Amino acid sequence: MSTKVLLHVGCPKTGTSYLQDVLFRNQKVLREHDILYPADRFDAHFLAALDLMTLPWGGLETEAVGAWDSLAAQVRDWHGTAIISHEIFARATPTQVARALDSLGDAEVHLVLSARDLVRQIPAEWQENVKHRSHITYASFLRTIRDPARDSKIGSWFWAVQEIPDILDRWGASLPPSQVHLVTVPPSGSDRGELWRRFSHTFGLDGLDLDLAAERENPSLGVPETSLLRTINQRVTSVIAPPDYRPLVRELLAHQTLSRGVASARLGLAPGDHAWAQELCRSWVEAMADRGYDVSGSLDDLLGPALGTFADPDTVPADELLPPALDAISALLVEGARLRAVEERLHEELREARDERDRARLTPSYRVKRKIVTSLEDSAAGRGTLDAYRRARGRKQ
Amino acid sequence: MTGTTDPSARAHGWVAHLRDGGTTPWLAWSATGTPTARPLPGAQQLELLRRLNLDPRGPVTPELADRVLAAPAAGRGKADLPLVGLPHRGFGAAAVDPETISAHELLRVASVLLADDLVALGADPVATSWPRPWRRRIRLVGDPLVATATREHLLGVGRPEGGPRPFVVAIGRPLDELLARTWTQRCFETGATPWAEWLRFWRERDQLPDRADLVASVRRWGGRRPFVRVVTDLDRLPRQVGVRSLPVVRVPGADQAELARRVAAVVGLRVDRQERPGLMRTLQRRIPDSGAAPVGVPAREHEWVARSAARTVRAVTRRGYSVVGDVADLQPRPAPTSSVPSGPDDRQVLDLAIRMVVDPGWRRERQRREEVER
Repeated sequence: MSTKVLLHVGCPKTGTSYLQDVLFRNQKVLREHDILYPADRFDAHFLAALDLMTLPWGGLETEAVGAWDSLAAQVRDWHGTAIISHEIFARATPTQVARALDSLGDAEVHLVLSARDLVRQIPAEWQENVKHRSHITYASFLRTIRDPARDSKIGSWFWAVQEIPDILDRWGASLPPSQVHLVTVPPSGSDRGELWRRFSHTFGLDGLDLDLAAERENPSLGVPETSLLRTINQRVTSVIAPPDYRPLVRELLAHQTLSRGVASARLGLAPGDHAWAQELCRSWVEAMADRGYDVSGSLDDLLGPALGTFADPDTVPADELLPPALDAISALLVEGARLRAVEERLHEELREARDERDRARLTPSYRVKRKIVTSLEDSAAGRGTLDAYRRARGRKQ
Repeated sequence: MTGTTDPSARAHGWVAHLRDGGTTPWLAWSATGTPTARPLPGAQQLELLRRLNLDPRGPVTPELADRVLAAPAAGRGKADLPLVGLPHRGFGAAAVDPETISAHELLRVASVLLADDLVALGADPVATSWPRPWRRRIRLVGDPLVATATREHLLGVGRPEGGPRPFVVAIGRPLDELLARTWTQRCFETGATPWAEWLRFWRERDQLPDRADLVASVRRWGGRRPFVRVVTDLDRLPRQVGVRSLPVVRVPGADQAELARRVAAVVGLRVDRQERPGLMRTLQRRIPDSGAAPVGVPAREHEWVARSAARTVRAVTRRGYSVVGDVADLQPRPAPTSSVPSGPDDRQVLDLAIRMVVDPGWRRERQRREEVER
């Protein structure tokens, strides 16, 4: 029975991929210190979240069967501290939260929510939508999330995983405030290690000898790069199925190619949207200030940066789209060449296998047998004879 | 009912009322109840329960009511919605009047219930018989509804598909119908994207899905000219597969296919990958008839379908495959008028789902075996 479970439920775009990567790669070291991060694959907790919340996800859900129950069983069976972490848990309904907490047994559950201000989250979430096949313009996205009805898929999802007080209400309602931990993402320009220090402190990892080299991150894109990707989506989303989109567009183009444009303008908010987002964040901070949560960082981090220069991704001129477009073409050609090489190698292996088979068939006895079989297959009586023979020899039909 | 000023107690009273088989809408409800330890269900679950109670076969049992109240709404749409009139904390989804919730939202909950029912039911056994050694060796491709039904029938009468050097029997239909049937069958297997989206995917690629592409299907099975039959006259299909007759093929309506599509997605989360086909086959056999027409290709897609069909006809003719029937029957039927609905209607789908949740007949009845002449 775990004595303590640290349940990290979000939010997306708050350094969660990096944290999960460190936890995944350091499982052995963590176990030596009685800390369990139960994952046989990097996305194990993502699959558990799909299972818990009955979320079909472009076919990936078929790998999630029973994933939550299995994860919860491992946590229950552990003798020390266990960590569960995935950002889409933030979307769980009260009924799903109750089921999740019930299945963790009698352990002392600590809820962890990492959070960032809306001024940075809104552009990041739009980019995330674009990296997941959407071709919604930035202006439409903002209109959608500002619609109080939250009727659309995008709007309902955005607020379900980003509205910090609501997530804490759903997940933390049954927990004492001292067991609810809020990790705020430091302001832009802070020391790169600061977020990790906050995570490390909250998860009790201080002083452990962990490999912190980043293997997996979810890098952000510049304004022209995101604009280009959105334009590409307009052309390809309806003709490229999710299993092909993920490796070719999201991984190859977005993560491995377009995210290298570090000199490009970063996406922010226009003055009107900035004021609205900051006002909303202020109301959240006020609502949370008296709740007595354990805050790693400062609630003031959630107010967001001051208004900066706004580059509109919906009106990027063609000459700014050209360099990332050429990078994209180049990356796709290199990938095409790599796949051609793979195809050629497979053809070669197939040729060798066929040659080997043909050599085996060159014997006179094989040729006689083949002739007999071919003749017999042409008549019902012959087929019956062959079947009887094969059955007698114990061969499959 | 008595007036009250405590909205939370009123909500708990309404939950208890629905759980007891009540049908009063939320806005007309005013009595209070005792709060329970369980979280208040979402408006979707509550409204679905009310609709189930309203069904002539209702009200539902308390056990089923509890399942409805605990069922999640599948997929990435709205999470559980709060009831209008309850104190709003200032955060979270906008409160709603449950009566105004769309059929689409209610179906997200109903499909979870049906998927769980199907998993609990398990897969119907597949009828098999000793393979007749003298059977004709065939490989079936083309119209997935006919091919699947024929394949199952042949297995049951000891004439399973396959074997060495088989005849490839390609079952053809007008391409618009073939596409509709391909999507329909897929709904009863692994699920699919919605009908309109699925069709657009193929149109924009200017390709045909595997099973609707007769020539590619034949090629995939290595069919050579003397060993290929393209059958467009279904009355002559039994002879091509070596039997005297075949059972009548059941063509699911648009509502049945759409419901199966939604259920398949949830079943994919409930059982291992290899178990889903058997369960979905069971659903296909047992899903109640509703009288709704199958999906149809909308007029705007007709030009592309006609072009693709012409390409198929040319390829069949050029390759010299034997056609049992008339190759012109591969051409699509005349385009429908734009007023004819081509896809599923969510309200009809919800009616069917409610019927299946309330009436367990489809789960109880033993599967009738069609009598076939052997």
